[in-house]
Amino acid sequence: MKRRRRTEILIQGDPALAKKLAESIIAIYGYREIIAPQQGLTMVKMRESAKNSLFYMGEVLVTEAKIEIKDCIGIGIVVGMKGDLARNLAIIDAAYKANLPETAEWEAELVEAEKQIIQKRAKDQAKLFETKVDFQTMDV
Amino acid sequence: MGYVAVKGGTQAIDASIERLTYERLKNEEIIEIETIMATMKSLIDQIMSESSLYSPYLAALAIKQAEGSMEEAVFLMRAHRSTLPRLYYSQAVESETMLVERRISASFKDIPGGQILGATKDYTHRLLDFQLLEEDRAENEAWLALYQKASEAVKASDTVAYFPKVVDYLREEGLFENYKPDNTAPVDITKQSIAFPAPRSARLQVLTRGQTGAVTALGYASLRGYGQVHPTVGEVRVGSLPIYVAHPNEGEMDEEDAFYIGEIQVTEVESFVPVTKKNEANDQELEFEIGYGICYGQNETKAIAMSILDQCLEHPESSFPTHDEEFVLLHIDSVEATGFISHLKLPHYVTFQSKLDSIRNVKKGGHTDEN
Repeated sequence: MKRRRRTEILIQGDPALAKKLAESIIAIYGYREIIAPQQGLTMVKMRESAKNSLFYMGEVLVTEAKIEIKDCIGIGIVVGMKGDLARNLAIIDAAYKANLPETAEWEAELVEAEKQIIQKRAKDQAKLFETKVDFQTMDV
Repeated sequence: MGYVAVKGGTQAIDASIERLTYERLKNEEIIEIETIMATMKSLIDQIMSESSLYSPYLAALAIKQAEGSMEEAVFLMRAHRSTLPRLYYSQAVESETMLVERRISASFKDIPGGQILGATKDYTHRLLDFQLLEEDRAENEAWLALYQKASEAVKASDTVAYFPKVVDYLREEGLFENYKPDNTAPVDITKQSIAFPAPRSARLQVLTRGQTGAVTALGYASLRGYGQVHPTVGEVRVGSLPIYVAHPNEGEMDEEDAFYIGEIQVTEVESFVPVTKKNEANDQELEFEIGYGICYGQNETKAIAMSILDQCLEHPESSFPTHDEEFVLLHIDSVEATGFISHLKLPHYVTFQSKLDSIRNVKKGGHTDEN
């Protein structure tokens, strides 16, 4: 699974999944910490819809971690102050980068977690849609 | 006359800071960060927006430390921001990817996807609710349980809906100009001082981090005649935008290899402004342009006011202050404005004595200069 999709699942879903996957890697391969979880900023580049140009909207506090497994460096970045999650994301990223066989086995679990995220969001949205206005034109 | 160094306030300052702590603690109440985050979202949103730092947790801490002072909390956040490394720049965020929580249009009643009110105070009575004085945790829990039960019963789709922009619909009809994506690297006003005339990217960056009250006041001034923009709101949307970051050293990479790092909640506004332009036949023709506003969190008044000022600054007019970019952009920043005003409290003994001497001289019939 590509990084964009798997980081969406691991960050939007239950952080316990990232913890479980990372622990399964550490137990077998261990890891070397290159950058312990640290806070920093990400500048948000925004496309405005009036002239279709770019501008910087402001910064977002993020937590970043970098670790190494089998000579492959993994990076974990997440919005907010989430040291454990950033480290777990870095371990998972390194596992994919090193092509560890365990990553192939994660596919089904990640797809299932993605399904649950979509279901939850769709459910929340269905409730939100109760606030959709049903306009009725009045006879005057 | 030169500056004179003075000393002697150290003990008084220490005692003053001690007294400040006493004032904060004397009522023996402690407000938890989690309580601020759960109950003062609008305040948090404003502070994040004005400090240009998205972190609800740090904004809540700033509110606690500043004892609710907006200007102090924004100052604390800006100061903290300056201590952190900037690790990444996001990929360009396209607002069509927003997971919408609220979306309305004042221009059309029927917009593709419909008008979704979401959570808004717009239709509430502005009367003090005295029942909140005796709010009961058990009652709140019961209300929440009922709400969640009702949510479970709602029939949901299998997919999550994302909404097209109202303006895209009008662009397809040829009613608005269609601009090709302009990928010119934006100016970053936190890295280089703003120079005039300012590029559009710098203008938008200053406006989005402007003080809510100042941006609102100037937007209002434009509506009242101190400007020439009176728009119709095309779309106000509030929701979460996903943020993606490219790998720092993988070079040319597939979009699918980017990092998703999380979401930020924003309010975005497109205002439609009628303008008169000359067409190819040199005739005056009425067209619409778009004023753009956006800010962190849910702050619709600020985003609408920003969209007015964006349009004002697109059309400089020397006779209107709200169309003067130096006037607008140099006076709406919270830290700069409150900092400069409050510096007037600091000792100005020498400069004031000098002015006093001049006045005394004049009153005695003397001269104030060498002639």
